[in-house]
Amino acid sequence: MTRTKRSFAVALAAGAAAIALGMTGCSPSAGGDDDSSVLRVWAGSATPINNNFNPFAVDTAVHATFGAIYEPLFFFNQLSSEPPVGLIGDTYEYSEDGKTLTVTIKPDQKWSDGEDLTAEDVAFTFGYGSNKTEQFVSAEATDDTTVVLTYTEPQFTSAPLTLGTTYIIPEHIWADIDDYIGETNPEPVGSGPYVLSSFSDAAYTVEANDNFRDGAPAVKEVQYVGLDSNQSSQDLLTTGKIDWVGQFIANPDAVTGKGDITTLNLQQDPTTITTCANADLGCTGAQTDPAVRQAINVAIDRATIQEKAFAGLAGESSPTFMLLPRDEQWLSDPSLTTSPQEANVAEAGKILEAAGYAKDSDGFYGKDGTAIEIDLFSPDGWTDYNDAAKLISEQAAEAGIRINARTVSDAEYWTPIQNGDFQMALFGLTQSLVADPYSNYHEFFAGTSTVKVGESPLVGQNYSRYTNPAVDEAVLAAGATQDVATKQAAYATIQTEIARDLPYIPVVLNASQSFFNTKKFTGWPTEDDLYAAPLPYLAVANAVVLTNLTPTK
Amino acid sequence: MSFYLRRVAFYLVTFWAAISLNFLLPRLLPGDPAAIMLGKLRRASGGRPLSEETIQAITSILGAGKDMSLWDQYLAYWGRLLQGDLGVSSTRYPAQVADLIAGALPWTIILVGVATVISFALGIIVGAWVGWRRGTWLDHLVPITTVFQSIPYFWLALVLVAVFSVQLGIFPIVGGYDVFEFPGGPELSWAFIGSAIYHAILPAITIVLSSVGGWLLGMRNMMVSTMSEDYVVTAEAKGLTPRRVRTKYASRNAAIPSLAGFGIALGFVVAGSIVMEQVFSYPGIGKLMIQAVQGLDYALMQGVFLVITLTVLAANFFMDLIYGFIDPRVRHNG
Repeated sequence: MTRTKRSFAVALAAGAAAIALGMTGCSPSAGGDDDSSVLRVWAGSATPINNNFNPFAVDTAVHATFGAIYEPLFFFNQLSSEPPVGLIGDTYEYSEDGKTLTVTIKPDQKWSDGEDLTAEDVAFTFGYGSNKTEQFVSAEATDDTTVVLTYTEPQFTSAPLTLGTTYIIPEHIWADIDDYIGETNPEPVGSGPYVLSSFSDAAYTVEANDNFRDGAPAVKEVQYVGLDSNQSSQDLLTTGKIDWVGQFIANPDAVTGKGDITTLNLQQDPTTITTCANADLGCTGAQTDPAVRQAINVAIDRATIQEKAFAGLAGESSPTFMLLPRDEQWLSDPSLTTSPQEANVAEAGKILEAAGYAKDSDGFYGKDGTAIEIDLFSPDGWTDYNDAAKLISEQAAEAGIRINARTVSDAEYWTPIQNGDFQMALFGLTQSLVADPYSNYHEFFAGTSTVKVGESPLVGQNYSRYTNPAVDEAVLAAGATQDVATKQAAYATIQTEIARDLPYIPVVLNASQSFFNTKKFTGWPTEDDLYAAPLPYLAVANAVVLTNLTPTK
Repeated sequence: MSFYLRRVAFYLVTFWAAISLNFLLPRLLPGDPAAIMLGKLRRASGGRPLSEETIQAITSILGAGKDMSLWDQYLAYWGRLLQGDLGVSSTRYPAQVADLIAGALPWTIILVGVATVISFALGIIVGAWVGWRRGTWLDHLVPITTVFQSIPYFWLALVLVAVFSVQLGIFPIVGGYDVFEFPGGPELSWAFIGSAIYHAILPAITIVLSSVGGWLLGMRNMMVSTMSEDYVVTAEAKGLTPRRVRTKYASRNAAIPSLAGFGIALGFVVAGSIVMEQVFSYPGIGKLMIQAVQGLDYALMQGVFLVITLTVLAANFFMDLIYGFIDPRVRHNG
């Protein structure tokens, strides 16, 4: 045997030993799975996880911060039209003019460090940092369980914001913190069902809070892991390493096949062709003509898009931009329940011809010698969007409308959407948190929520640059009242206007899939009992789900 | 000696130029990176005011300090750099860039470094052997390994994960260590080190598989051409043992060109293996870079590029020295 041969054999043996070592290294972790009371979650964090539990860092704080550790006063379930559920809060009441809000909180609550949680803390929270809005006047604790909030303007429409997303903080800790933006709050003291127990940049763990007002939750430990790809999460779910994720999996049977994992698919947020619609504010292109948008609206085959691009998981969206049937009481015209699901080429042609367009020799519509040619972009790698854009382009071509679908990088996607330098983009709007479409109309359609092309809206997200005096007036009217009939009338106006003008052309209702281990834990929301959305990344809802769970062993 | 002095001087100048470029590039970009980052931060924090400190840190790292001349900014930049201050990341706000890099660097260096060394050693040893036995069945190793190299890396990695981790359950799926076992993060214990090694095996195998072909092919071909050199023929004619001819005469000389490539490869170890880190959620530098670029996080980008530049330079410097040592011709002509 030559020396080389021998050393090669030695190397092989060493390699085998390394693998064997690896295997033995594996066995204790397999044993660790017996510890079935730990719930493992991937809420979408990428590694390295940032050590930030600051409830004011809305975008950068880690997932357990909102809900599990810090709580708002009430939980607004965005899946139901039921009134909100009290967390710290017990009841709330508006004054006649809507400028004063009186909140009572539940008695005998404690912070996770054992100090009492009183109305003083709540009042302090509302007067602290960015919770102090422009319209805020004062927050006063009139006794141990009552807080009176005063504003300069009626606050009827901001209850979900004020009561549902203002996270109550302990005065005895935050009174000493001035830089509430730079704070990372590595040892959070909250009122929620969990407290932080350990943190590393790959995972962190929260454990049951013994001081929680309803008693410590049944799931004693919850570990949040950081992962960088959906594939990894799917693999971990399949092998039983993690118990709860919310992500897109095109073929859910692969994961749920064994029977441990259950999936729930909720459709809430509309995906739209967002158009830069308003030539007065600087939009350019054929899509600024409502007739072109109307023609596209009837030319696209939504059923095909939903089947081919969204794997059949998406839902039918409504041109009223309401979540139906949740918001049914506000629907003015039943014909606006859903957008047309099949293409109607003849109708598209009729609309365009009535508006003075004519077909050229290639079969494409145009006006005054210029053919319609619109740019439609979507972020590269969002495959469902990319496929949908391609289908839209093909379907529009059938109807003689030229739409060029292209993909752009993430960075190139957000900037034009915000500053209006685009013609059409596939873009997802977010649904209102409560069974009232007010925030949708205010955010996406009101003139006060938009600015000229070239600037980004500071208030609201009217990226379409849509302005319509009738809509603006109705939004104002709806915001200043609690009277159902007045609101209904205002919403009826808005719905007619936006369904005709189509600044956002609805495509589908985006799917949000959640997967959870029903073998290890019971009490998850079901199709029939959607007490909270089972998405681990949804603030507050995730904590409501956690407190409802029980380990099976 | 003057060879080494000249090399040192050359690298010092390159070092200075690289750092200065790193200072200049964001300032030459269209738009004001500091403004972009501040804007992003404001959006991220829901339009809330930023602290004075943050604003100052960002403008002084990235930009356009209002009353400062470019020269003063340059001096300030060096001052902070020498204190190890690389600024604040905007995607990971308010984490320090230096901390992020320090956390990621060891993982990348150890895993990608070891994999690169293994891949190189394997390629050279097997390549020499295959070249020595040219024309035999061993030649089939060349197309086999190059096929692995030509397969898209992410695909190879995903297939290996699907087979060995998900189906067979032999290897872990993600991470640098078992996060379920060590919820508190890295610690100094044999159990942790074992876990880290165990988690490194599959990623390392994917890297070795996808890169060994190049070394092997290069080495084999050099070996074949070296063996027709006069000195090898002479050595054989002298009646030296084949082993001696193979190791002392042929392999040694055939390996020299590969060494240069190895130096460069070592330098790029720090750049990490972006795709590997993404597939395995491995806590390395490559991932930081991808996040920085996607999130337009200029401070993080600058920090990562700086570290990569410095290591590439250092590795080249090191190889230069070694090269001068093993190949005297370099010292005389350099």
